[in-house]
Amino acid sequence: MIIGRDLTRIYGMGAVQVRALDGVSVEIQKGDFVGIMGPSGSGKSTLLHMFGLLDRPTSGTIIIDGVDAGTLDERARTQFRLRRLGYVFQDYALVPELTAKENVYLPSMARGMTAQECTLACSEILTLVGLGNRIHHLPGEMSGGEQQRVAIARALVNRPTLLLADEPCANLDSQNSKIILDLFQRLNRDLHQTIVMVSHEEWHKRYFDRIISMKDGVIEEEVNRNEGGELTPSP
Amino acid sequence: MFEESKVAFFLAKRSILRGNKGTLSLTILIIGMVFVNLIFLPSIITGVAVLFNQQSIDYSYGNLVIEPKKNQVYITQVSELQRKLERIPGITGVSPRYLTSATISYKGNVVTPVLYAINPSDEQGVLRIATKVSSGSYLADGDTGQIVLGFRLAGNEDEKLDVVPSLGGVSVGRVVDISFNNGVTRQYRVKGIVTSNSFSVDSNAFITKKEYEDVFGIEDMANQVLVRTIETGKENEMRNTLLSFGVQEKIWTWQEKSANFLNQIIGSFNIINFIGTAVSLVIAIVVIFIVIFINTVYRRKQIGILKAIGIDRSIIIKSYLFQALFIFAIGTLMGGVFLLLILQLLAANPIVFPGGPVAPVVDLPLIVRSTMSLFIVSLIAGYVPAWITTREDILSAIRG
Ligand SMILES: Nc1ncnc2c1ncn2[C@@H]1O[C@H](COP(=O)(O)OP(=O)(O)O)[C@@H](O)[C@H]1O
Ligand SMILES: [Mg+2]
Repeated sequence: MIIGRDLTRIYGMGAVQVRALDGVSVEIQKGDFVGIMGPSGSGKSTLLHMFGLLDRPTSGTIIIDGVDAGTLDERARTQFRLRRLGYVFQDYALVPELTAKENVYLPSMARGMTAQECTLACSEILTLVGLGNRIHHLPGEMSGGEQQRVAIARALVNRPTLLLADEPCANLDSQNSKIILDLFQRLNRDLHQTIVMVSHEEWHKRYFDRIISMKDGVIEEEVNRNEGGELTPSP
Repeated sequence: MFEESKVAFFLAKRSILRGNKGTLSLTILIIGMVFVNLIFLPSIITGVAVLFNQQSIDYSYGNLVIEPKKNQVYITQVSELQRKLERIPGITGVSPRYLTSATISYKGNVVTPVLYAINPSDEQGVLRIATKVSSGSYLADGDTGQIVLGFRLAGNEDEKLDVVPSLGGVSVGRVVDISFNNGVTRQYRVKGIVTSNSFSVDSNAFITKKEYEDVFGIEDMANQVLVRTIETGKENEMRNTLLSFGVQEKIWTWQEKSANFLNQIIGSFNIINFIGTAVSLVIAIVVIFIVIFINTVYRRKQIGILKAIGIDRSIIIKSYLFQALFIFAIGTLMGGVFLLLILQLLAANPIVFPGGPVAPVVDLPLIVRSTMSLFIVSLIAGYVPAWITTREDILSAIRG
């Protein structure tokens, strides 16, 4: 379970302050596939950074798997990211000097798995994302869709509690976007992977179990998918 | 810890393999050259010192110099002392001699060099002057009325070519006038001219001991007795041996006799050496620092990504340290090969100093010292930029 409580993030401590998050509280259950939507500048990425432990809130608490992230020092946060979180960026953020396989290999290696375990985990996950045969290419030699799938494989290789994706399809055409979203859906349904994904595409809505709509740093509306598959506002 | 190093090594290896080869090669080249520089200059300087030391032994002092007791001008009964010395094991040559200053004149040129009076056969057992005759021949036992001149003293007809006051180009067979400091004046035929490259030999003159004793009306005395030993470097032990054999005169080692001159030269060389070494090391620090710094700044985003996916900062720093060590290792290796080539070349075409060809002395302490200092420099120059760039927070690094 992931809990965010009264999160604020204020940029610029001087005269001009931007309240990127202005008191946000969210709870995400294990196995959820949550979409965070809203206009540009509404604080979606900022919120995701908090959950990804890439940034610290100005105030508020984040609890992931019962661990209060605020109590962790830099090194422990890094370890937490490595072992419990997977983060997918809009621009893939692969290491350009590493091949697809090596990009995926790296986090499992850093986690202390043996070479054999790493190789096994890598090929398993790369097959899962549908990249069985392009694994020895450098990122520069791959298409955007392929690179994003490598990034997803990298995020998943250590079996994270939480997969975070910040507009993973923003740089992709609709066909590749669909491949990614279908993949997320499969991960969510088959492996019960908890996913929080930022998006501003209307048609992505049908993939999410739950949608958090943000505006000006606050949650404007929350909707849940009911038994019948309809999206209904939650109380 | 080991896990961390494994990941760091993995990242470093990929960076080296897939990074910019041009920059890498240039850096390695520079480190190689710095290594050459760290070794080469000191090796030449040591070579010169060795050469000068050998010169001191071969042309001026032998290994030990025996001089009169305090407040005496002469060693008396010198032949007895000589026989005693010659019986001491480890001594291969003993040469008593007189030193005086005398006024030599030739065709209006008047100079006052040191005049050495020697027993030629004894002298040849200690010094190597006799092997450096450039024209005529060396003195023989029993020669009278003959003189051997150093080539600088003999000089040139064209005064501008002279570096010391000279006789203006006297050649073998000519006759020079000598006034001794007891008032006696005699004529001497130039028997030979020596060119030894040892300054004290080349600017002074030699007559036989017999001749000197005749001029001064003394016998069986000397101002100095030069002693040659089998081994060089054991002078202090030999001095003790001499003392234990009852030698009562003052005993100097060649180092003591030449200390002032040598210390000055070696002292100034050491300053040059120190500056050269310091400059080289600073260059190495700056170059590795700049390269790693540019490298890390250029990879700012990548560093941000690595941190974001959970790679610890210390791993990233370590990976740059590995890269710096790689540059150090290959650079040093390359420098070593280059140095070997230079040494080969120098063996074939030696640098000739006044005093003879210089053989560069590359000894183990020098190599260890140079390698260690480059190693430390590489570590520092690799660590600091990596430490600085990895300090940046993740999001601003990723944004680029
Ligand atoms: N590093 C930053 N410095 C200052 N303001 C920032 C920074 N990052 C984001 N912001 C501001 O915070 C607000 C929310 O940004 P963000 O979370 O990126 O929005 P979204 O992802 O929903 O488009 C925006 O007004 C943005 O300009
Ligand atoms: Mg955003």
